[in-house]
Amino acid sequence: MNADAIPVTESFSHRMVTSWKPELTQSDVVANEEIVLLARLRQGEEGAFDELVMRHHSALIRMAMGHVADREVAEEVVQDTWLAVIEGLGRFERRSSLRTWVFGIMIHKAKDRGVREKRHLPFSSCVSVDDSDEAVDPSRFHQSGEWTGHWALPPQPWDDQTPEKLLASQQAVNAMNQAIETLPRTLRDVLILRDVEGVDAKEVCENLKITETNLYVRLHRARERVRRAVETYLEGQQSVV
Amino acid sequence: MAQEEGQPTISEITCQEVAQWASAYLDGHVEDERKRQITAHLTGCAGCETYVKQIAMVRDVVALLPNTVEEPSDPHRLRQAFARVRRCSIKEELQ
Repeated sequence: MNADAIPVTESFSHRMVTSWKPELTQSDVVANEEIVLLARLRQGEEGAFDELVMRHHSALIRMAMGHVADREVAEEVVQDTWLAVIEGLGRFERRSSLRTWVFGIMIHKAKDRGVREKRHLPFSSCVSVDDSDEAVDPSRFHQSGEWTGHWALPPQPWDDQTPEKLLASQQAVNAMNQAIETLPRTLRDVLILRDVEGVDAKEVCENLKITETNLYVRLHRARERVRRAVETYLEGQQSVV
Repeated sequence: MAQEEGQPTISEITCQEVAQWASAYLDGHVEDERKRQITAHLTGCAGCETYVKQIAMVRDVVALLPNTVEEPSDPHRLRQAFARVRRCSIKEELQ
């Protein structure tokens, strides 16, 4: 999470003021871990390489799936990525984080492979996403009159829901995973990098060659789709009761 | 909706705009003036407060979603390649 990010539990209107003390941000911790891991990798420690693979392989596969025709090809792309990482480790100059570098290699390879297999791309990957589109369904807002632009159908509070409760429900987890898997590639890429992998906004922009404005438009559209999936799941739960 | 007449801070920005900026706001990527407008709006609009909290929960939950743990299709080949390349590099460094 970004250092300036506002946590979910924080009240917007009654924020508690606490004394400021310097703390390591999450990105500082990640950066320190990477320095240690990189040193171990350069010493040829096999366990360090296994650790690097374990850390990022799943997210690499998920992202590669958005660029290429099927799972088998995605696995090939990621396998090629790891081989390129091994070959390039000696030349890696830490101008970006190790993670950004690895994901950058994968994106490059996946795009290259995707271009060659253009005709076979899954439909969800081909859906074009216009960054000027509204993230939230416009019909949920008043379209005319005094309250134009204000909620006509406001979201209902998820009163007793906590992240733990949502994660404990297999149905909710499936609904969220399904929403993520069916995101168009451009939205899935930002959600996986930023929210799943926790990559800094600047590094995501660097990786995907997009502006920060584009990043937040896409990220919000992706989060909104997952939010809708949770909303639909909870509405279903209420109608059962 | 929690708007009340005589609260100009809310009308400075619409709910639709707040919803549009929610992720950038939560991640601290909005300009100071925009941040002030959104924060002021949230103090008086229950719908937007709910919406922003839900987006924050989604952001936090997505990072914790259990996923199938994937493993490389040919881990042995990767380990072999790693050992071979690193052996060569270390040898070069020593020379």
